[in-house]
Amino acid sequence: MADVYQITIWARGVVQDMEGRHMSLIMANSADKDGKFVQAWDDYADLPDRVGVPLRKYVRISDEEIEMRYEYENKEPNMVVLMDDTIVKGMNILWGMKKGGVLVVNSKRSPDEILKFVPNKELLKKVICVDAEHAFSMEGLDFMGSEGGVEAAAVGAGISAVIAGAAVHGTDNLTLDSLVAVAANKEGAKEGYEKAVVKDL
Amino acid sequence: MAKEMFLAGCSAAAHGAKLSRVEVISSYPIRPYTGIMMELSKLVANGELDAEFVHGEGEHAQVSIAYGASAAGARAYTGSSGVGVTYAMECYSPAAGGRLPCQMAIADRALDPPGDFGSEHTDVMSARDQGWIMGWAETPQEVLDNTIMYFRIGEDPGVMLPQFCCQDGYFVSHIPGKVVYPEQSQVDEYLPPFKNPHPLDPTKPVSHGPQIYPDQGPAIDLQRAQAFIDVPKVIRKAVKEYNEIFGRDYSPFLDEYRTDDADFVFFLQGGHARTARYAVNHLRDKGVKAGMVKLRFLRPFPTEEIAETLSKFKAVGTVETSTSYGGAMKGGNLIHEVRAALYDVPKPPAVTSFMAGLGGEVVTLDEFYNMAKVLAQAAKTGKVDQYVYWVNFDKGV
Repeated sequence: MADVYQITIWARGVVQDMEGRHMSLIMANSADKDGKFVQAWDDYADLPDRVGVPLRKYVRISDEEIEMRYEYENKEPNMVVLMDDTIVKGMNILWGMKKGGVLVVNSKRSPDEILKFVPNKELLKKVICVDAEHAFSMEGLDFMGSEGGVEAAAVGAGISAVIAGAAVHGTDNLTLDSLVAVAANKEGAKEGYEKAVVKDL
Repeated sequence: MAKEMFLAGCSAAAHGAKLSRVEVISSYPIRPYTGIMMELSKLVANGELDAEFVHGEGEHAQVSIAYGASAAGARAYTGSSGVGVTYAMECYSPAAGGRLPCQMAIADRALDPPGDFGSEHTDVMSARDQGWIMGWAETPQEVLDNTIMYFRIGEDPGVMLPQFCCQDGYFVSHIPGKVVYPEQSQVDEYLPPFKNPHPLDPTKPVSHGPQIYPDQGPAIDLQRAQAFIDVPKVIRKAVKEYNEIFGRDYSPFLDEYRTDDADFVFFLQGGHARTARYAVNHLRDKGVKAGMVKLRFLRPFPTEEIAETLSKFKAVGTVETSTSYGGAMKGGNLIHEVRAALYDVPKPPAVTSFMAGLGGEVVTLDEFYNMAKVLAQAAKTGKVDQYVYWVNFDKGV
């Protein structure tokens, strides 16, 4: 079976449900633009309608048809993205990751500070921090559209574009050009790429 | 130009309904079909769809609203999942017997107990004998296309029957896939406005759903059974024209995959057909002559097509994804009708069934390979050791 690059995105219920989903969608759309096979979807067992609960959104990218399409979770994420740095505490965010993974965090803090809260940090080869919070806008915020809906608002208009821009440093499966092409917040995607603080481990 | 977009099955159903210009929508929330109504309510609120959106107090009310609207002459749309589908059970026969061609989207879900969001076909399979047209889609694209096609078939003046337009919960309903989004003008060309020949109208009173004497019953039942006799003809024409206008390649009843020279086939409906295709590809790479036949309509059941197609193979394994507790084959539902369809065939294939994909469990490639081993053996010997294999529980699978 083909190699599938797996990205797991953690977001907070309701307040980040849409941004988290947009994150998965723009990453997948961008890789699709680059000719890859892609999949972006929400975790089916999470409860996106409860405020603040941790939610997972997933992306799969591959050079060949993704035959594991129906498996509910990314069981071996190559990249983990935190939409909110507080998610780092109290949960095994790297669950299933094999050695050599990448962590991307939306945070004002430095990679070293974030790593203090990651007990299994030996799995990581790279940590990327980006302060996307200031780019957050209520404009176009749409609390509907979870549960399999499509978006009424433009996809990737908020912080998701900034964080995805930073994530480009973590994998060859994402390219800045394609990301800028598909995300509504084009400046944000570029800004995220430029402002990312990257630490190789 | 038709555009391409990523849509989950829920949104694909909603946009199929929008493109069909539905006039009355009735909703009540239950996972996983809820996404359909969320999307439709948004389209109505944004002024992109001119329809009455009515929220029922439960699924029973919801389906009653839909067939009531159909009785008044509107193109009506509703939907549900799991226990919601079974809660509305009383309403299915009146809609079909009243010849009211409303459509109900089903994103299937396991029934209780215990509570489970996962896909299983048992919910609406339990309503298969209520007189509705029904079938499953494999992809979000097929969901959108079926939604439009089903209205056309159900509203045909020679048919006038409601339709269950089904998709697997989560696997199809919640995982976005690429969908070619048709032009409204194409859909308008394909699907004329709905006309109920005897609408409820206060200025021209008619009776719908009257009480009868017992001796009037059999004739009405016969009429309802006969209503299905002409449906296959209408389906063939509707699918052919859909393919022509929208540039698709659907078979009316049975979608065959790599069946030329196949020794055995997996027979199934819905989203797991996708994994079956991958499994067939890998088995073929190893020289195993496997194929797949996907059922597109469960009602009307394509008896002649099944007899003709499946008799070409040495063995057939139905992959059930629904339960028939205590039934003839002690497992699922498909095998009953497949075996019945093959009864008069001179050299019928060996037929067995696999209980897989229940409760929303993923049917994996490895599981298909194990089923293939059983089927390869059956193809060789010409007989089956068991009529049902519970995958991951019975020996050999």
